[in-house]
This record gives sequence, structure tokens and C-alpha cells, in this order.
Amino acid sequence: MTREEILKDLKQRFKEDIVNFFDKSPKRVYMEIKPESLVKCASYIFKELKARFNIASGVDSRTAIEILYHFSLEYINLLVSLRVKLNRNNPQIDSLAPVFKGANWIEREIHEILGVDFKGHPDLRRLLLPDEWPKGVYPLRCDYTEWDKNAIRDRGV
Amino acid sequence: MSLTLRALLKSPWVFHLSTGSCNNCDIEVLDCLTPRFDIERFGMLLAPSIKHADVLLVTGSCNRKSAIRLKRLYEQAPKPCVVVAIGECSLSRGMFIHSYNCPLPLDKIIPVDAYIPGCPPKPEAIIMGAVKLIQKLKGTL
Repeated sequence: MTREEILKDLKQRFKEDIVNFFDKSPKRVYMEIKPESLVKCASYIFKELKARFNIASGVDSRTAIEILYHFSLEYINLLVSLRVKLNRNNPQIDSLAPVFKGANWIEREIHEILGVDFKGHPDLRRLLLPDEWPKGVYPLRCDYTEWDKNAIRDRGV
Repeated sequence: MSLTLRALLKSPWVFHLSTGSCNNCDIEVLDCLTPRFDIERFGMLLAPSIKHADVLLVTGSCNRKSAIRLKRLYEQAPKPCVVVAIGECSLSRGMFIHSYNCPLPLDKIIPVDAYIPGCPPKPEAIIMGAVKLIQKLKGTL
């Protein structure tokens, strides 16, 4: 399939799920979808279109927490990013780790750093943060404030 | 000067620890060991284990997880152990000073004997630091 055929197929197949479709460049497409239809879209792109799951990235943008799932279709040289916007007060989304294992660790990282709850994740432990890190404090949120009273934030000069 | 320190300065064996650095300082440290800069002429060798080492070279910004390991390594080192901080990150955490993961500079975690600034310090600067450190310990600086 060519690039045009794939994009047409995606648009048609996920007509109700797509919120916004942004054709940025010949190599890059952003597809904003509803959070509840993530698993459906991602499994179609991964299993039927034989895409590679590169990585997911999380952004806290004051109005919503966005997660972008980047898939590359190497046979047509195209990067498809699925974008979901989650409610900042209670960010929840279905986990992709049962669909493909590559999503396991990055979801653990987004969980500890942005506080997104991945429903259905097999093992949502901490990945990178230390054990003494307090619960409910997410370092890459916009409203993060220093919690450690012993931290020194000047250079001593 | 004690006998152990005197013996240490003849040929200080160096253990190199990266506490979350970007590897640039580590590359410069390894550069020092190449024939061009040849820090071995001062008797310095990289030791494979901290238990064999006299000098602990620390690069990187000491994040929360590596600070625990750093303390553990310092406890295992045979004393007297000289600690050298290499690079801006281990001196003052550089650009990571406001990072959530880097609460303390290196010299608030373990005592530091020599600071070698730079991002990364040139091999010449590291050799200069090594020479100054030896002079300081001998009491001739």
C-alpha cells in the first residue's frame, strides 16, 4: 500500500474515533483520537499495518495531559503519531502493554513521572524514580514544586 | 605525612565512577590514559575495583539513586581515599541544579579533595588537577 492509500484507509476506518488529523509533512502524520479508542487504533496500526512501535511520549500542557504513541511504517517511510488528550485531574487510559510488550516500560515511566493511570497494565511499578520519592508527586507536571526540604539549589557562591 | 599516604602518592590507583554523567567527562578521563596525554607517567592506573583503588574519580551530577551507590562505594574504599570531582556536573550540578533528581552537590555527600572544573575538562586540565592534588597532599603547594 502507498502512503495515500494507508492514510485514506485510516481516516475511513476510524471515522468516529479521530478528533483531528494533521498531515504535517511527507514523513509525519499526527492523528488525534479519543482516549477510549486507543487500543483499537493502536492494535490495527501495529498488527495489520505491521508498524513498528517506536516510543510513547507524554506532555503536560496545562489544559490536558497528552500522550503521543509513535509508530513508524518503514516500508513507506512514514511516522504516525497517535495523540490522546487526557483530563488533568484524573488521567486514565487503557494500557497498550497487553497488545505489545514494547509499551510496558514506557508506560511505567509515564505513570511515575506524569501520573497517568494505565488501566490493564500487568505490572505498574516504578521504573526510574527512587524508592523514597513521595507518592502522588509527579516531577514533570507543570505544577510540580520542590518537596525535598534538604535539597540545596544554589551554587554556594 | 603518614606512611600510607606516602605509599599512595607513589602510584595512585584510580577508580572511575560516573554518577549519571553525559559520558563526556568519562571520555576525557579515558583520553588521559591514551599515549598522547599518558597520565600513567604519574603512576596512575585505572583500578578495576574500588577495593584496589586509592583515588575515587567522580563524574556526573549525583542523582538520587546514584548518590546511594556513591556512598556505598566510598565506604568500601580503603582509607585514605582521595576523592576528585571532575566536570561541572559533579562540582555544582551544572545545568541540572534545579532538577528534581539532583538534590545535593557531590561535596555535600562525600568529602572532596580536588575539583576539576570544565564541561568537559580538557585532559590537560585533568593532568593539572592530578599534579596539584599530589602537590597538595605532599604539602608542597
